[in-house]
Amino acid sequence: MINCLKESGIDAGKIDELIHGSTTAINTLIERKGAKTALLVTRGTRDVYIIGRGNRPEAYNLFFHRHKPLVSRRHTMEIAERLLGTGEVHEPLNKANVAAACKELKDEGIEAVAVCFLHAYANPEHERIAGAMIRKALPGVYLSLSHDILREYREFERMSTTVVNAYIGPKVGGYVKGLKASLNRIGFKGDLSIMRSNGGVMTPEVATEKPVAMMESGPVGGIIASAQVGLALGFPNVICFDMGGTTAKASLIREGEPTLAPGYYVGGYASGHPVMLPMIDVVEVGAGGGSIAWRDDVGALKVGPQSAGADPGPICYRGGGTEATITDANVALGRLDPDNFLGGTMKLDAEGAKRGIKSKIADPLKLDTIAAAQAIVEIAINKMSLAVREVSVAKGYDPRDFALVASGGAGPLHVCAIARELYIPTVIVPLFPSHFSALGMLLADERHDFTRTVYSDLANVDFGKLVTVHDEMVKEAKESLRHATNSVFQIQLDIRYVGQEFTLSVPVELEQLKRGDRQAIRTAFDQLYEHRYAHHSPDEPVEMVNIRLGAIGKRPKLNFPSVTAGGAAAPTGERQAYFTSASEPLTAKVYRRDQLGAGAEIAGPALIQEHGTTTVLFERDTCRVAPSGELIITLGAVR
Amino acid sequence: MNLDTVTLEVIRNALPAVANEMAADLQRTSYNMMIYEVRDYCTALLNTKGELISQNVGGVSHFVADLGVLVVDGLQRYGKDGFKPGDVIITNHQAVAGQHLNNVVIYMPYFYKGELLMFLMVRAHWIDVGGSSTGFGAGATVADPWLEGLQLDQLKIYEEGKLSEPLYRVIKDNIRFPESSLGDMKSQMAACRLGGRRLDELFDKYGRETLLAAIDHIFDETEQRCRNVVSKLPDGIYEASSSIDDDGVLKGEEVPIHVKVTVKSGSMIIDLSGCSAERKAAINSRTYAGARVAYKALTGPLDPVNEGSFRALDVVIPEGNIMMARFPAPMSGWSGIVPTVVDCIVGALAKAMPDRVPAGHHALLGGAVVFFGTHPKTKRRFVVQSIEGGGWGGRPFEDGESGTVSVCQGDVRNGSIEGIELKCPVVIESRELRPDSCGAGKYRGGLGIDVRVRNLVEGKWNFEMPRRSKRPPWGIRGGTPGEPGGYLLKLPGEKQFTMRGGSHIPVPIGSEAIVRTGGGGGWGRPQDRDAAIVANDVAEGFISAAAARKLYGVALRGNLSLDEAATKLLRKRLGSASKAKPTAQVKPKAAKKTKRAKKTKKAKGKSHR
Repeated sequence: MINCLKESGIDAGKIDELIHGSTTAINTLIERKGAKTALLVTRGTRDVYIIGRGNRPEAYNLFFHRHKPLVSRRHTMEIAERLLGTGEVHEPLNKANVAAACKELKDEGIEAVAVCFLHAYANPEHERIAGAMIRKALPGVYLSLSHDILREYREFERMSTTVVNAYIGPKVGGYVKGLKASLNRIGFKGDLSIMRSNGGVMTPEVATEKPVAMMESGPVGGIIASAQVGLALGFPNVICFDMGGTTAKASLIREGEPTLAPGYYVGGYASGHPVMLPMIDVVEVGAGGGSIAWRDDVGALKVGPQSAGADPGPICYRGGGTEATITDANVALGRLDPDNFLGGTMKLDAEGAKRGIKSKIADPLKLDTIAAAQAIVEIAINKMSLAVREVSVAKGYDPRDFALVASGGAGPLHVCAIARELYIPTVIVPLFPSHFSALGMLLADERHDFTRTVYSDLANVDFGKLVTVHDEMVKEAKESLRHATNSVFQIQLDIRYVGQEFTLSVPVELEQLKRGDRQAIRTAFDQLYEHRYAHHSPDEPVEMVNIRLGAIGKRPKLNFPSVTAGGAAAPTGERQAYFTSASEPLTAKVYRRDQLGAGAEIAGPALIQEHGTTTVLFERDTCRVAPSGELIITLGAVR
Repeated sequence: MNLDTVTLEVIRNALPAVANEMAADLQRTSYNMMIYEVRDYCTALLNTKGELISQNVGGVSHFVADLGVLVVDGLQRYGKDGFKPGDVIITNHQAVAGQHLNNVVIYMPYFYKGELLMFLMVRAHWIDVGGSSTGFGAGATVADPWLEGLQLDQLKIYEEGKLSEPLYRVIKDNIRFPESSLGDMKSQMAACRLGGRRLDELFDKYGRETLLAAIDHIFDETEQRCRNVVSKLPDGIYEASSSIDDDGVLKGEEVPIHVKVTVKSGSMIIDLSGCSAERKAAINSRTYAGARVAYKALTGPLDPVNEGSFRALDVVIPEGNIMMARFPAPMSGWSGIVPTVVDCIVGALAKAMPDRVPAGHHALLGGAVVFFGTHPKTKRRFVVQSIEGGGWGGRPFEDGESGTVSVCQGDVRNGSIEGIELKCPVVIESRELRPDSCGAGKYRGGLGIDVRVRNLVEGKWNFEMPRRSKRPPWGIRGGTPGEPGGYLLKLPGEKQFTMRGGSHIPVPIGSEAIVRTGGGGGWGRPQDRDAAIVANDVAEGFISAAAARKLYGVALRGNLSLDEAATKLLRKRLGSASKAKPTAQVKPKAAKKTKRAKKTKKAKGKSHR
């Protein structure tokens, strides 16, 4: 990155702000290259981290695997101490135990320590005392206390999140510090920010203490950018759809705000590590340009999740690939121009793609090559549509109320077909769709999320206490916020019917808490429940479990230059390509995106080519170029 | 009907998605931990022949494809014209359903353009159905279904959208936690309605003919997939047996489990005739679950389930068998023996597929934690419930997992300690692995666990779970068995824990109970296990230094480092000893060539009334 800056010739001293997204955190975990980590727990809970929830999500699999612990059992130490759910001390902390553990960990050469005591979310005192002792006894050792990382009940999930943080802490912390030092050396004096999984950014200091918060920052940029593009064009509700080489991702944005999930499992739900920090809710499916089409043992046609990747890549890349991929199918259908891929810098082998599809798929299925190519693309589209459904329909949102924003190299190729599948009326293809993620990072606000478990019937909840807890979280947030002057705080209460386990996060106003407005909160919960599950029970008692605070430091938005208005769109040529029907090709007009002026209108069938991608307009789809350059496509009604 | 490749693949993906979406909806809106943590439910679509179109994945496995008998029975009662849009049927009657009464099925007919085409169904474990059913269900000592709880026999709780008030009130007045169970009923209905909306979309999009033809095609190809797997096994008859210590009523009398599996050119017959006859104790059932779970695990564990999944399987269970018991044989502990049956079937096939069969697992439906009472301050009733996993058997290439739920349970989660303590007046003193509870082997079994619970107010314990101390989880190929589980109790003033059993056992404040789960058996000879790995097991505390020495022939020095010279000597001695004493518990009979599959009487899950 430093080299990149140097080569670009930009004067580092003139950069006001630099935002960095990195896969260091997730890679350290996945490659298991983290620190030698120890775990201190309440007596009797040494094996909670190994046992987890005892479940086997793959119900019939005799060879399933549980998560593979990051801390060995011999480095998991029990400390005599016990708190109750109310926070009261059932058994005081045995400091001699902590001291003995420290000594042993020192002898073992431990590099990081996680501490997770039962009910520490309710009363962090024991963790704090133990933490202070560890800092003193083991200077230089990376320390994570569970209540600092996640102040929420459910010990295994909190323990796992804390362990992950400690495990990746030294490496990621070192990386962030190193980056800052290198930037300073080349004269950078501005603010460095680190992208985090919740869609916001944080300071390098916060990132060093809570590296687990940057775990899934990869796909986040494109989602933020989609939200901003949608807002700017008057579509506050959008679903972003990103399709790259191996996977496609979908995420929902409402009123310009990305949807957050309370946590996720690194490595998958069945065998992964729970990390219960808010992250942008993304549904991912194994369908990308490189996804391979194959037939299973009874001859059913499948696409993905195996991918030819970049090496050997699709057949048409001439890199030695022999399996038919989604990209090959698009070339065979004429939707991708073999002579104009990546601005014509890479000539694609269209005949090779067709031969591969014929021999691997078409002949065994007794289809002609074009029909087989069409089938490959349609199956991929259906798979991706299921992902879009999962973020919308399955959460109670009607996709017809949203616009679909396409990004990634393969997104614009498929987006109109997906929109049609789900009756989404409008598609937006932003500028630079294949570099959308970096753009989004520039637009991200600073964001910190806090949670406290406060367990009470709503009827008896002590609102004074809630306001106090809220004020504490705001105070903590302000210490982390760089732009505290321009900050917004969002409060949510996790509420459920008494007896349920899962909660809904209900947005509330601080004034409602101060007034003790139970009725308004109750009504908001019932309405949200009705929206999400299509039924509710206004007469049944409800209880709250957590209070959440999202602290957002607003940053100034970037303004992009508008595109000059041009006349009518002029095609650069024509090509035969297959669209809705595989039986006959249509003559499609071909456009170069960089030649389109604002206000230009195009009717499908058409292909709009640019350096990293091609936008496919089907029959009856129409496209207009926005003043700021985005393609706004209105879907033809017919499926 | 001409079905194109794309339409087929799309429908193939869409149908399981409907059932899964119903399941997600149910789980997140349910009121009892049996649904949201134990996932003791299933959601499914069936056609009017009772054939399974799709079922959710991930929940408890023993509900696999078990709703068909209810549709067939319902159609016999009401006739095809007897179902109307807006009808909601509730049933748990054992004559047909064959499970404990807590498993309440709610189903709705699905009409498309006025034609009855399918049924949307949700079976879910209610926390109480009256009688002695509180929690996981009544124990094995319940004498009959009337003592167990409320029996509901294919009744319309809604008729054309109108609630049957009298029925609703009868249910409400005869169960202990009506707000919970009737809340769950609401969630079950909402899940069915959601499934109906999704089916509307599919029928609208593809049309009646195409969708129904695609479903038939999917059944056929699923069947073919299973046959492809089974046809790779050598034809033959494979047998195995085990037993449960006793049925809880006749103390000390073993309950035999015997399975016979016949493989013949891609077909499989699983014959459970050799299992016990129906018992006076409530461990009876009417279920194909044992055979089907095993078959599914062998043929396509990660594929969705439909009617085709079991077409190439014949299950033979004669009427009057413990798993084809006749009403009113008590069934409140219906599922307890099923994991052992599954394990026997899988174990029997070890000869046929040596690279795909693990050693025996704890084979109980988890260590059930059930403590209940009324809080003296709030006067509210509480139930502490959790399912604790045990050890799984060593596998042909790696160790078994520790502390994991049985083969009949999938995404079944234990209760979090903090969650339990927030809701109930107990302190969970520990949840820990039990060193040396695993069977030894080249690949050792997983460890069982101990959960210790201290009660802060008085209440009652249920210590009900079939035990297998005489036939603990077996080792194979020279591996040793795992240690069985059980329940232990220590009352205030007592010095030691003692083994206990039974239900509704009152305990005073400050008692402590241990819920103990078994360990898994070992795979292969222990002396073949890499000595460095054995040394690491000792350093990690999974096994003791004494066990390393005695079972594995591995000697360690005082600092737990490996003493190679002494180990070599010990292993030499073990090697000659082990030849004399094989340790396998299950000895699959040598595969005999079948001349002709033995003529078998096939039991259908018909009702008997």
